[in-house]
Amino acid sequence: MGRITLHGVTKNFGDTEVIRPLDLEIEDGEFVVFVGPSGCGKSTLLRLIAGLEDVTAGRIEIDGVDATGVPPAKRGLAMVFQSYALYPHMSVRKNIAFPMRMAGLDKAEQNRRIESAAAALNLTDYLDRRPGQLSGGQRQRVAIGRAIVREPAAFLFDEPLSNLDAALRVGMRMEISELHTRLKTTMVYVTHDQVEAMTMADKIVVLQHGVIEQVGSPLDLYREPRNLFVAGFIGSPKMNLMTGEEAERRQAATMGIRPEHITASPTEGLWQGTVGVSEHLGSDTFFHVHLDGRADPVTVRAGGEVSLHHGDMIYLTPDESRIHRFDAQGMRLA
Amino acid sequence: MATKASRSAARVMIAPSVLLLLGWMVIPLALTLYFSVLRYNLLMPGANPFIGVENYTYFLTDPAFTDAIINTLLLVGGVLTITVLGGIGLAILLDQPMWGQGIVRILVIAPFFVMPTVSALVWKNMFMNPVNGLFAHLASALGMQPFDFFAIAPLASIIGIVSWQWLPFATLILLTAMQSLDSEQLEAAEMDGAGPLARFRYIMLPHMARAITVVILIQTIFLLSIFAEILVTTNGGPGTASTNLTFLVYAESLLRFDVGTGSAGGVVAIILANIVAIFLMRMIGKNLDT
Amino acid sequence: MARAISTRRMALNTAIAWTIGAMIFFPILWTFLTSFKTEAQAIADPPVFFLFDWTTENYTTVQERSNYFRHFWNSVVISVGSTLIGLAIAIPAAWSMAFVPSKHTKNILMWMLSTKMLPPVGVLVPIYLIFRDLKLLDTQFGLIIVLTLINLPIIVWMLYTYFKEIPGEILEAARMDGATLRSEVLYILLPMAVPGIASTMLLNIILAWNEAFWTLNLTAAKAAPLTAFIASYSSPEGLFYAKLSAASTMAIAPILIMGWFSQKQLVRGLTFGAVK
Repeated sequence: MGRITLHGVTKNFGDTEVIRPLDLEIEDGEFVVFVGPSGCGKSTLLRLIAGLEDVTAGRIEIDGVDATGVPPAKRGLAMVFQSYALYPHMSVRKNIAFPMRMAGLDKAEQNRRIESAAAALNLTDYLDRRPGQLSGGQRQRVAIGRAIVREPAAFLFDEPLSNLDAALRVGMRMEISELHTRLKTTMVYVTHDQVEAMTMADKIVVLQHGVIEQVGSPLDLYREPRNLFVAGFIGSPKMNLMTGEEAERRQAATMGIRPEHITASPTEGLWQGTVGVSEHLGSDTFFHVHLDGRADPVTVRAGGEVSLHHGDMIYLTPDESRIHRFDAQGMRLA
Repeated sequence: MATKASRSAARVMIAPSVLLLLGWMVIPLALTLYFSVLRYNLLMPGANPFIGVENYTYFLTDPAFTDAIINTLLLVGGVLTITVLGGIGLAILLDQPMWGQGIVRILVIAPFFVMPTVSALVWKNMFMNPVNGLFAHLASALGMQPFDFFAIAPLASIIGIVSWQWLPFATLILLTAMQSLDSEQLEAAEMDGAGPLARFRYIMLPHMARAITVVILIQTIFLLSIFAEILVTTNGGPGTASTNLTFLVYAESLLRFDVGTGSAGGVVAIILANIVAIFLMRMIGKNLDT
Repeated sequence: MARAISTRRMALNTAIAWTIGAMIFFPILWTFLTSFKTEAQAIADPPVFFLFDWTTENYTTVQERSNYFRHFWNSVVISVGSTLIGLAIAIPAAWSMAFVPSKHTKNILMWMLSTKMLPPVGVLVPIYLIFRDLKLLDTQFGLIIVLTLINLPIIVWMLYTYFKEIPGEILEAARMDGATLRSEVLYILLPMAVPGIASTMLLNIILAWNEAFWTLNLTAAKAAPLTAFIASYSSPEGLFYAKLSAASTMAIAPILIMGWFSQKQLVRGLTFGAVK
């Protein structure tokens, strides 16, 4: 079981409010991702749940029991750190055994769990090595192994993939997702990378300046961002945001349109512009189009094999039904 | 990481160190200040009346005090000049590629580990003795008159000995600083047309500046307290020719048993050391992020 | 990228460096050689270098006449004792400051350092009188106390800089894994800090071994460590160079060897992290 409930949780460091009063419900078995730019308080929030920091005010419940003053060791949670935080002087086996040793589990049970975790994580051949002799991806798996054997109520991940190279990151993303499907344990995952959030989460919590901007499933957030910040943060490449005449014409202070919701044509359309830089990804191509009389280019997605060149004249037409409208405060207009 | 539990544990764990050092600093300091305003001589038991600043006046107007201050400055200044200049030279030399670098390093560092009384006595007797010392043998081999180091130039001789002890320290620290200099910087300077002298002046020296300051400040703290070397070589003499402030205070308090004047001298020494300490602390503090 | 350098340049560097190194080291070598000479050879003019009748009699004489090993033992007890006590007090303090920093941490560290800047002569009188009244003069215990206190700031600082290099996340991981404070320090921090603690210990033993202000002023015959014992050679009678050399060689040899092992740590310990 792993239901985590936050009631009015607040955290100040000195005079700085890192987390403003905040309520959040994490259901049992859910994969929740905290995402936001650096300094938004997402890691602090995770550490508050872990018990590594005290809350300034508010209450944290785990499975309905007040855990606010409970030390980290007693909360029944396991954490995977950004640096993996493996114990460098212990072998992989000892690393994985450590939480069980602290809990006083008997040796046979310890070994049984180590073997099964090692088998699941492809670590069987490395059990007697030291962390220093492992690659980044293997270390990551040891850290996960150390978390699994505790059979925790929930897993906490603090930017676990940020030290891996791009290729490994994609692989580990899949492994963690598979782990979640298999274990069905609650996972709380912190990242600054919205791609990780979109691909892994059941529920995304977008944070900025210690405030929750929006909570929802990845597609909810993508389709209906509650405000300008979420609109700009979720989705890659970013949503095109325009102010001025075009927005006013649609009774909004700002309008947004995603690159895939714009049709490009060499002959006719709503907006006229010239093609700037283009990024060919193979499956897709993104064009940066400079519209006449606008400073920022508009990003447009086209098929993989369209041939348009720098300086070509082009016409763009947005799909009116997919336009997002925001008021002067940046909030979404229905 | 900071929860209330860990913070209170931290306070408990730091307490012994803080309390001990506090006691070590406050109690003797308070006593020194207290004694310094008393007429207090161990040879004259009885009441120790309060006499205000009389000890200070006595200590500061004593001609020996002026001598001691001048000797202290000469000693510190002389040793600093020799060790810093020598240290820069040696650091650059040892940073060059060569065979047996590790061994040379070990040879150069060795004097730092020789206890002060040993180095002072070895130099005094086996090298600087006007009859049996190696320097005397060398002089007579060259047909010259042996030089009586401690009779003619006692302070200079002590400066020589102390410099030998501290040169390794300066070298080691400056060498560490040199080795942290990115060789690409030197190569870039070379590409920009800087010759060896210009590279030294514009790249190496500025890079070492910080380490040089640290060497000067730390050595000054230690050099102000030079004691054993003087005690076993000249005993401060002849006259007061090699008496520094530390030795003068020692002589007042433990040779003449004048606790009051000795304490006043101690206070003066503390004030002098603090002038240097402030600068050193500021430098270290800047480098410290907690 | 180190670049290739001509053999001639290498040879020149080597020659200069070895010459200077040999000159700086010469007094130590000379002391070592003299300790194996007879007193007559020790002052021979012209001096003899290697071609003399090597004898170990100076070593036995020094021991017989003045019970050398008693002083040697005093040095060992005082330097090792003060270092171990210092470590026991400093490890918890360094742990707190490195891993639970508060807004006072920097001030505490700097204040500890400032006690090291206090010239010993400034507190000589009261310490001497207190020791006299407590009957601590000329005792091993008294010196252990003083040396522990004067070196405590250096121990705390060195340990602090070593502990700072241990990522806090590892200790947090231990906490998440259910470790109590005691197991956290015992199973995680200490094993990881062993190299740092060892070099702190080494440097501190060296400093305590060579300390020559308090040892000279607070001891007489009984508890005198080697610093004070050797000082008694300053007013000798008769021929004594060879014996002085023998006593000196034994006094500096162990520390010289330890010192060579702790070169790197020396920089860190004596500059309080200001030069790395």
